[in-house]
Amino acid sequence: MSSSDIKAAYDPSASGRRVGSDFKRKDLTTLAVFALITFTMPLWFPLIGGYSGLDTKILIWAIFAVGFDLLLGYTGYLSFGHAAFFGISAYITGLMLLHVSDNIIPAMIASLIVTLIMALIIGLLTLKRTGIYFSILTLAFGEMFHSLAVSTLQDWTGGDNGLTGVPTPMLFGLKMQNLTMFYFVAVLAIIMFYIARRIGRSPFGLMMKAIKSNQTRLEYTGINVLRYKLSAFVISAIYAGLAGSLMVIYEPYVASEFLSWQESGRVVIMTVMGGVGTLVGPMFGAFFMLYFENVVSVLLQEQWLLVLGLMFMAIVIFLPGGFADGAKRLWNRVSRQGDN
Amino acid sequence: MNQIFLQVLTGLQLGAIFVLIALGLTLIFGTLGVVNFAHGALFMLGAYIAVILAGKLGFVTAILVVPLALFAIGLLMERGLVKHFYDRPHTDQILVTFGLAIVVQEALKWYFGANNIPFAEPAWGTGQTIFYGTGVTVPDPIPGLRIYMPFIEGFVFYPKWRLILILVSMSTVAGLFVLLQFTRFGLVVRAGMRDSEMLRFLGINISKRFAVVFGLGSAIAGIAGVFGGPVTQVDPAVGMSMLVPSFLVVVIGGMGSLPGAVLASIMIGMAMAFSVNVAWLSQIVVYLVAVAVLLIRPRGLLGQKGLME
Amino acid sequence: MSILEVSQVNKNFGGLAALHNVNFSVDEGSIHSLIGPNGAGKSTLLNVLVGLLKPDGGSVEFDGKSLLGKTPHDINQLGVARVFQTPQVFPDLTLLENIAISGYADRDGGFKFNLFETADTAKPVINNAKRVLEEVGLIEQQKAEARHLSRGDKRRLELGICLAHEPRLLLLDEPTAGMARHETETTIDLLRNISAKTKMTMVIVEHDMSVVFALSETISVLAQGRIIAEGKPEDVKGDPKVKEAYLGEEQE
Repeated sequence: MSSSDIKAAYDPSASGRRVGSDFKRKDLTTLAVFALITFTMPLWFPLIGGYSGLDTKILIWAIFAVGFDLLLGYTGYLSFGHAAFFGISAYITGLMLLHVSDNIIPAMIASLIVTLIMALIIGLLTLKRTGIYFSILTLAFGEMFHSLAVSTLQDWTGGDNGLTGVPTPMLFGLKMQNLTMFYFVAVLAIIMFYIARRIGRSPFGLMMKAIKSNQTRLEYTGINVLRYKLSAFVISAIYAGLAGSLMVIYEPYVASEFLSWQESGRVVIMTVMGGVGTLVGPMFGAFFMLYFENVVSVLLQEQWLLVLGLMFMAIVIFLPGGFADGAKRLWNRVSRQGDN
Repeated sequence: MNQIFLQVLTGLQLGAIFVLIALGLTLIFGTLGVVNFAHGALFMLGAYIAVILAGKLGFVTAILVVPLALFAIGLLMERGLVKHFYDRPHTDQILVTFGLAIVVQEALKWYFGANNIPFAEPAWGTGQTIFYGTGVTVPDPIPGLRIYMPFIEGFVFYPKWRLILILVSMSTVAGLFVLLQFTRFGLVVRAGMRDSEMLRFLGINISKRFAVVFGLGSAIAGIAGVFGGPVTQVDPAVGMSMLVPSFLVVVIGGMGSLPGAVLASIMIGMAMAFSVNVAWLSQIVVYLVAVAVLLIRPRGLLGQKGLME
Repeated sequence: MSILEVSQVNKNFGGLAALHNVNFSVDEGSIHSLIGPNGAGKSTLLNVLVGLLKPDGGSVEFDGKSLLGKTPHDINQLGVARVFQTPQVFPDLTLLENIAISGYADRDGGFKFNLFETADTAKPVINNAKRVLEEVGLIEQQKAEARHLSRGDKRRLELGICLAHEPRLLLLDEPTAGMARHETETTIDLLRNISAKTKMTMVIVEHDMSVVFALSETISVLAQGRIIAEGKPEDVKGDPKVKEAYLGEEQE
């Protein structure tokens, strides 16, 4: 671009500004609504049968899901091994709390650094080729870490029994329990949601969407596709790692199941049912799935996962946009009727 | 020497199940471009149907019926579900087959419970095979099939059923290669694995033939279910636990390559068998082999250039 | 002054020589066509130029810098853009976003970790994208997703993606294939305008001789992996070797 072009582009009479502030206002409104719903959760959640503590767990999974959506919904890469990051981070947090300090800050920082390094390594090994290949290999890597935890490293991880005896996590003298923990997680969930939205709207997010849409064109448009893919993968792994770390602070125990494919599958199901690429959808998906698992399951007993699996299939087949798309269609129909 | 011989047999036996599952996976992927996350579930269905049939009508009936039943199930699955996903993104194909895998798993858990169902091999397959070396006579009272192996010192016992499993797997592989190499159907399938666009262009009705391929892949998983069931567990988790190493076999061999799958399954079987006494290694050796192969040859052992890149 | 210098390039596919000692030089600011019968090696040559294929021997220099061993995105960042035979756009994105991506590639290079800028309000990029959409005649549909475009419009969009980056060398692989007559004419005018206005160098691979003769200053003829003729359109037209190469194809 020549310099005269740039000058012309900065012409203040251009129509860009108004649109921009509109977006910002809409952004803040969404965020405010989300924050309101989140912060009042201890008030309304028990009314629909939720027990206290489940709300914290839901928000932790919502963080996991919104990060997962940045990878699946934007970049189009379906990971079946995100439990690896969730679980590794959980173990590191547990080990730090157990052996180093019961302060959560060093534990969380260490967890996120390890997650970052693991994500870089796994990303480099799995992202060079197509999406199918990626799905298979991430599944395999996830299972590898599960096997490592229950066999090779069992002296450290406690094997099948998981890591027990973790002390009550503290934040500078504050016990991370009950409502304190809930609000700590709630604040983080809101921040992480906001960051995800900003990333989605940024040029970086545009590149992610372009990767999903046509990698060839992107590469021939001068973009280093692999580095964007790798960055997106690492960002979503960090979200998973943060969730894993919070899970151990919420309940000072690390289960070996945190690393299993079921855990990876769970975040896939949440994200897809909620609506890929919408960020809000997957967070609702997390709410839906945990609510279903812990509250509705009383009616269905052991068969809740069978019912959920059938619902998941139905959504993939008939409503690939998930709940978010369903809600949008419903809204359109209602508002159209209102017009008539 | 005896120890090594036993470990080779164990390796072959492990590889024998993997290859039967991986062949279907790679066949379906190569022709239809679909990665079937429910393929482990098909194997598991095969094993469950086999347990029931073997208990009610005898093991031979199970051997005859299960592959046919799985062929029908595969055909049904392709026509009823997978077919509608050919024009959708790969992630959707993976998601829907993953969903199906969960549904099958949970349905089996609901009906049969979460525990392992005992699956005994038939009377004619029980007992030991006795391999004996030069100058050794096996005392008559010891029951079992006797096979002479010149390099063995004394004797080596190996369960007869596992030997049968290895032989069945080898014959299935051979049968599949004959089918693909010497029939018109095989010609179309092989061409489809090279370039399915081209076939579509030539106006060959591949859609119906490929449904048959899906059935064929399922039937082979069924064979793995009948013969492998008595060796593995028969519980609702076995599908997924067999799927992961089978996926690795497919990736190590090179996606869409049948000879690659055979080679890789033997490799993985051997790696597992020879590391069995090293506790820290045995559970993760499969993954280490996979990482090593992919670092050296990202395309897999016999993967074609251009495919999957 | 040549901007692209291909010398002694060889490429074999399993013993079959797709390119044989190809020498090919493009003058800066010119429109240079590459023609030849099917299977002559035109696509192979283009693929070598953009870094998709690695030649077995020879050198490829753009503006004095070797392109060999460079990745496609690096080559693009140097100023070489390509329009594909089947139009490659971002079907799930709006037309404006399609072009903006190229604008960001121009502004930020191959990779930038900018997570917190808002993509659709970055004015220089967006305004430039609008200007380009205007130029290729698609401004009215800027909010539409590219999947809904006709094949001809997709091609113009792809051209726009390339132009937004202001490349110094534009490679066009059959830019009018599958277009109706009037679309072809519009495209010819568009390319001619761009060339006149920006002095952008273009290499066009084309089957449609009316397009080739309407646009080119120089024509190179490739047959069986070799350059058999090169020169001004009227010279090439009369060259007996060229006639032979094409007739040979028709007789088969």
